[in-house]
Amino acid sequence: MTPRVHNEPREGTMHWHRGTLVAVAAFLVTGVAAYAAYGATTSRRATVNITFMEAMSSGTQKPALDLLTKRFEAQNPNVHVTLIAEPNYGVLLQKEQAAVAAGQPPTIAQAYENWAASFADAKAIIPIGGYVNSKTVGVKPKDQAQIWKGVWKDLFLPDGKIWMWPFNKSDYVMYYNADRLAAAGQQVPKTWVQFATVAKALTKSGNWAWSTDTGTPAAPADGTIVMLSLIKAFGGTWIVNGKPTLDTKAAIKALGYLADLKKAGAMQLGTNYPGETALGAQRSAFDLSTIAGYPYELAADGGKFSMKVAPLPSGRNGQGNAMAGTNIVIFSKASSAERAAAWSYMKFLTEPRQTAYWAEETGYLPVTKEALPTMKKYIATHPYQQIAAQALQVARGNPAYGWWTEAEGYLTTAMQQVLEGGGNPAHALATAQSKAMAAANQ
Amino acid sequence: MSASTTAMGLPARSPSRPGRLGIRSGRYAFLYLSPALLIFLVFTVGPALFVLYISVFDWNLLNSSLSTYVGTANYRNLAHSSDFWHSIEMSAYFSGATVVGSTVLGLGIALLLSSRGLVRRIVRLAVLTPYFTPLVATSIVWVWIFNPQFGLLDALLRMLHLPQVGWLQSTTWAMPALIVYTLWHDLGFTVIIFLAGLATVSTDLREAARVDGARYRHEVRDVVLPQLTQTIVFVIVITTIDSLQAFTQIYTMTQGGPLGATTTTGFLLYEESFVFYHTGFGAAIAVVLFVVIALFTLIQLRLSRSRTS
Repeated sequence: MTPRVHNEPREGTMHWHRGTLVAVAAFLVTGVAAYAAYGATTSRRATVNITFMEAMSSGTQKPALDLLTKRFEAQNPNVHVTLIAEPNYGVLLQKEQAAVAAGQPPTIAQAYENWAASFADAKAIIPIGGYVNSKTVGVKPKDQAQIWKGVWKDLFLPDGKIWMWPFNKSDYVMYYNADRLAAAGQQVPKTWVQFATVAKALTKSGNWAWSTDTGTPAAPADGTIVMLSLIKAFGGTWIVNGKPTLDTKAAIKALGYLADLKKAGAMQLGTNYPGETALGAQRSAFDLSTIAGYPYELAADGGKFSMKVAPLPSGRNGQGNAMAGTNIVIFSKASSAERAAAWSYMKFLTEPRQTAYWAEETGYLPVTKEALPTMKKYIATHPYQQIAAQALQVARGNPAYGWWTEAEGYLTTAMQQVLEGGGNPAHALATAQSKAMAAANQ
Repeated sequence: MSASTTAMGLPARSPSRPGRLGIRSGRYAFLYLSPALLIFLVFTVGPALFVLYISVFDWNLLNSSLSTYVGTANYRNLAHSSDFWHSIEMSAYFSGATVVGSTVLGLGIALLLSSRGLVRRIVRLAVLTPYFTPLVATSIVWVWIFNPQFGLLDALLRMLHLPQVGWLQSTTWAMPALIVYTLWHDLGFTVIIFLAGLATVSTDLREAARVDGARYRHEVRDVVLPQLTQTIVFVIVITTIDSLQAFTQIYTMTQGGPLGATTTTGFLLYEESFVFYHTGFGAAIAVVLFVVIALFTLIQLRLSRSRTS
């Protein structure tokens, strides 16, 4: 290979080269400086990824949450939300627990009150009062006041701090077969006394008034929740000073009331959503269930009769109602940037426009009264939404104690002892109270 | 083997390579076994030992650093727990009925189906099919069959003017209903085992018995059953282990209710560990259940060995 001969550069050319080099160097220095400045800016605005573990995976829930999340990301281009959908709450809880136990929780997740209590005990979630009440990123006091009273109370754990933010809320209503009531010349019952009278009047010719499922200690169902609502309506309590109160006079009266309906044949027990099945088959006339179940009730009715919705009947203490649905919690493993991004997303979901959209799409309730004016058209065609939303004022969520699941299970057992086994309400509830107290003291 | 491989044109085995016995007894055995052994240690032995470890703690599922050592307290609580002893009773009820039912019905059906014929083949298929269906799906179907207001069984009772029974809501009937479902689902498995066992029964002996004038029941009692003893014991052991581990149908159909009437020890384990989060206590139940099942497995191994020898 012949070596290449380099020509001697001319002076002028050399000068030109020097100038070029200086220019290139200056360009490079400027470029590097600009790039560094750009890098600093983008690192401040770097995308924050947050994960949301949820169970909104069926029906209209998934597309509605997807759309809201996309809208949020469009408004907040530096935040990316990954939705981790689970098929139901049972699986969701298991996944959340496994993730926490493994030290790799999501940024945020749906949680019932007693789940949140257990997570807080394990130092797995953080209180969010600092965000909620922040003057810069928080919710203004006037807007806080617009959140339904029951929903607002539900955000606190017994330590008095805000640990949760509302998301998918529902409560209990009374579905009824309007045709059958009219044919029997009966009015829609407004009190539990009237309910018993109407229920007994409708119990004839092989038909009855209401089917429900108490559930089991491992999985209390609608029947147990209605019992809790009855206790409130009759002036009782579920807990006092952090301890269960399952054997109050009101509770004994409530269980006696249900036993009387059962004895009269007006109430039947079953499993697998017997309320909507019996109502849909026109064997019963009522179902007491959550408003979120409206599409299922409608499907069971199948257009065979006029199904309507009314508030749960009242007792001497007004209407008692149990809130269903979950809140959102922020896990403590999240970085400060992730926590801030998560809070902005949680706040976004509950703003009037978003919560109204969520309610209209899914049948859950708007968590703030501020959403109702934007839902006028929808409420005109879906009046049951307003009935259920207004009940959020009095509805109460699960007591936020880890032991409540167990206590509720003992209440279910007491109900089965009385309704199935013909036991004495006072004795059954005394046993439930004793066991629940032991669970609370553990 | 070596002759055939040579015949197939493959090189004969080098005499310097260890023979089969050498591999089995040598270090190569560990080398070849190590992947399976590792998987077994990590996914079976490890978790089992961890459950044993958890059982001596008041275990915090969400934050193990908050767990406290309690020694044998969980086991002592177990011994004094009425719920645990009730679950043992329910397990014995469930296992006793399913084991006896599976064995007697399985053997009876296998005897009926052991001979050839198109109809019997169809019936055999019908008996075997439920075993291949998913437990969760068929459990839900049976929940509706047992439904007191709209179920098939109560419709039949109404047709016969008999009183309505709340099968899964009744403390008396929930367990029998669960047993009926389990037998319906699992009978196919025991029938397969018995059919395999019957295929090994000496036809000469059966024919000799018939020539000697033995009636069918005598032939079964005196010729078939003695030769099926090992199969029967195998079926009993396997169905006992299966029934002690039964969970899916209980979870789907009754959730252990009503009033604990179907809360077997396996279901109580789930309830305590994953519903009430008494994880250490649940682990103690798991250990006890493990010991019981291990005993049955040892019996099975002992019987298998005696059969082989």
